[in-house]
Amino acid sequence: MSSYFLAWIVLIPLISAAFLGILYLYSITVKKISDKVFATIAITAPILSFMLGVGFFLGLKNGASEYIYEPYIWLGVNDYIINMGFLGDKLSIFMVLFITFIGSLIHIYAAGYMKGDDGYGKFFSYFNLFVASMLLLVLANSPIIMFIGWESVGLCSYLLIGFYFTDPLNVVAGNKAFIANRVGDLGFLIGLVYLFFYVGKLGFDYSALEQYIDIVPNHILVIIGSALFVGAMGKSAQIPLYVWLPDAMAGPTPVSALIHAATMVTAGVYMVARFHFLYDLIPNVGLFIAYIGAFSALFAAVIAMKQSDIKKILAYSTISQLGYMFIAVGLGAYSTGLFHVFTHAFFKALLFMGAGAIIIALHHEQNIFKMGGLRKRLPLIYIVMLVANLAISGIPPFAGFFSKDEILLKAYKHHEYLIYGIGLFTAALTAYYMFRLFFVTFEGKNYTEKKLEPLSWSMKAPLVVLAFGAAFSGFVGLPKVFSNTNLIDTWLGNWSGVSIHAEHYEEIIFMGVSVIAGLIGIAVAYVKFFKYDFSQELKEGGIVYNKFYIDELIDFLIVRRVRSLSTFISVVIDDGVIDKTVMSLSNGFINLGRRVGRMQSANTRMYAFFMLIGLSSFSLYLIFKLGQ
Amino acid sequence: MMEVSFMSYILLAIILFSMGIMGVISRKNIFIIYMSLELMLNSINLILVTLSKHFGNMDGQIIAMMVIAIAAAEAAVFLSLIVSLYRLKHSINIDDYNTLKQKGTL
Amino acid sequence: MSDTIFLILALLALFGAGTMITVSNTVHSALGFIVTILALSGLYALLSASFLFMVQIIVYAGAVIALLLFVIMFLNIQSSHTPKEPNKYLFMLISAIVMLPIDYLLFRAFYTMTDIENFSITSKDFGTVKMLGLELFRNWLLPFEAISLLLLVSLVGAVVMARKKERS
Repeated sequence: MSSYFLAWIVLIPLISAAFLGILYLYSITVKKISDKVFATIAITAPILSFMLGVGFFLGLKNGASEYIYEPYIWLGVNDYIINMGFLGDKLSIFMVLFITFIGSLIHIYAAGYMKGDDGYGKFFSYFNLFVASMLLLVLANSPIIMFIGWESVGLCSYLLIGFYFTDPLNVVAGNKAFIANRVGDLGFLIGLVYLFFYVGKLGFDYSALEQYIDIVPNHILVIIGSALFVGAMGKSAQIPLYVWLPDAMAGPTPVSALIHAATMVTAGVYMVARFHFLYDLIPNVGLFIAYIGAFSALFAAVIAMKQSDIKKILAYSTISQLGYMFIAVGLGAYSTGLFHVFTHAFFKALLFMGAGAIIIALHHEQNIFKMGGLRKRLPLIYIVMLVANLAISGIPPFAGFFSKDEILLKAYKHHEYLIYGIGLFTAALTAYYMFRLFFVTFEGKNYTEKKLEPLSWSMKAPLVVLAFGAAFSGFVGLPKVFSNTNLIDTWLGNWSGVSIHAEHYEEIIFMGVSVIAGLIGIAVAYVKFFKYDFSQELKEGGIVYNKFYIDELIDFLIVRRVRSLSTFISVVIDDGVIDKTVMSLSNGFINLGRRVGRMQSANTRMYAFFMLIGLSSFSLYLIFKLGQ
Repeated sequence: MMEVSFMSYILLAIILFSMGIMGVISRKNIFIIYMSLELMLNSINLILVTLSKHFGNMDGQIIAMMVIAIAAAEAAVFLSLIVSLYRLKHSINIDDYNTLKQKGTL
Repeated sequence: MSDTIFLILALLALFGAGTMITVSNTVHSALGFIVTILALSGLYALLSASFLFMVQIIVYAGAVIALLLFVIMFLNIQSSHTPKEPNKYLFMLISAIVMLPIDYLLFRAFYTMTDIENFSITSKDFGTVKMLGLELFRNWLLPFEAISLLLLVSLVGAVVMARKKERS
């Protein structure tokens, strides 16, 4: 497999996005093009990338170490050379595989979900652009190229969240996502700049950085690591930059499924894994990352317990699960974190897509307390959602159990008992709120008698595929007690210097504890919600329901201050000082011109007089000249 | 009595020329401006003839004659212009011929 | 003798010019102008330019000023039509002062020519018609033709500009 094709993994969706964009413009101005055309082109692109990814996967499996393709020098200034390069090593191809696979499935799903919406073609253009950006992010050979993809996914996220732009609230949500991302990007950029400053002269691709990272003094490494993690905080919605993710649910559900469940939000985790050589040297920062992850997980889970919008519950659960991933990579267990990324992608995408199916079926109803009795009416959705919920709650043999359990085990073995405790408690909470959602949605007695909207096969088929994934993807990371080959670990390589050794019996104890925690959560949810009596409406209030008023706090502390500063600068400085200075200068010129223009008074005698004066002064001058 | 010489004629011509310019600048009546203009031309003629006599060359007188011819042509055109302007503005005040004025000036 | 004549003629010229530029009434200043012209023609005669002396009177005094007076009366200019000029003496003074450098320069320029013998001795028919004619048609033929063309053009132009616009 020639490494030349690495570029095509990115280029195919990119070209498709451009083509779809042009086609859409054509469709709205000249002649309408059927939705099917857009859908077909859009779905083909990630499938092709997936096939290329499989090709590379096979190549790597058969012995190649990595593929590098550097077509040209992007920026070359004296010693500092930045190449446009693609790196296809085990980590990248791993990411490429599940991004394109789940991406293709969600494209198929979206073809059915978005039917009838305005801007159908535009949606797919953006969607493909997103896939291209995400692929660029993971395939980049240099942090700067990764940053291009990093920013582009932020852009696509903005475009897609605000897709239903006619409602201003959606646009605000898009803005919020972009701005919060941007704050993160600033941190990322600071980290990059520091990195470049210290090591950039020796080459700025990952292999060179890995080789020469020891040059950098430790305190600078701390700065770099923290700054890069700020970027990850923004992209992956950890405390404190998580506030955009719940609002991002304003976008269409396929967007939530792809971007905010499976791919973009995992970019932060990928970044930490990619920079493992850096984070290995600064374990304190790693510990900080792990704590942030743990607290985000707990915090988000608590909020999720009281939400009533189905998508918002899933959004908070995403934040929570991302917290788990960061616990893992923060403590140096990179492959474990990525394993959870992998399994989470499957069941979270499935959850979102199922929720989307329910929403469409109930004619755009999103409040779970207005749903109910869907078990008999949407049997397929019921089954897949059950699988997904079991997966996320960590019940074996479904996927989430293996990945989550391994994270908790690693945490305990690193002697981080607090993190372990938080993780375990959050697992129970996760099970609770997810099954709260499940029971209320499907089993509640408050069901609407309305006729359900039928769901197209394009929406149902991906759900089935993903359900299989959610069910069985855990088996790629079996713990040692079951088999000696942990596929993920061997594939990705356990980079951390510290290796965890756990006895078999220990593993079994931990697994049992996790399962019990999950079952406790489910049981509580069952008791509370299985026979939910809707006669008492759920109180919609309280601190937890209002997300601990964090948004309001941010608005008060930061947004208002920035806005008043902007107003100050705009009015006082811009209008008052700068405008006045410039305008007074130009007005001065205008007045001067006007005054000079008065000489053109059409008074002939004045003209003659001026001519005379001219002649006279000239003669005076000549006289003096003659006199010398 | 001072001897009348070349310079006396020149001096007279110069004085007449200055008076012509004074007339052009200080008067508003267009006919008087025209006559001052002609006065200037005449003073130049005087200089030309003086020089011609001074150098014994006929060229000066010939040029002077041509100047007179041109002045006659100019008179015709100038006066027809005044007639047109009078028809337009009903005034012979040169300050009233101000259609080319810059807007916003006095 | 000739000096006295020169003096008289010069004073007449100056007087006429002075009248022309200071008097308000248009016709009066035109008459002053005629005095100046006649004085000047006398000066030409003094300078042995006999033909020019005659031409000056015929063309200038006879044609140009006559045309001028004709136009003044054609337009029926009365004292009420003449513009009011409150500051004319002030302007004259100012312009006189402004002219001084130019005058001085001219004077100096001509002064340098006085090192040659004043008024060279000339032949008897200096300034006569014959002499003038010979010079005109020998050396100055082209300007002569050009001036005739100029006169034609100005004739046509004057007629065109002064006629009444009758068409709508």
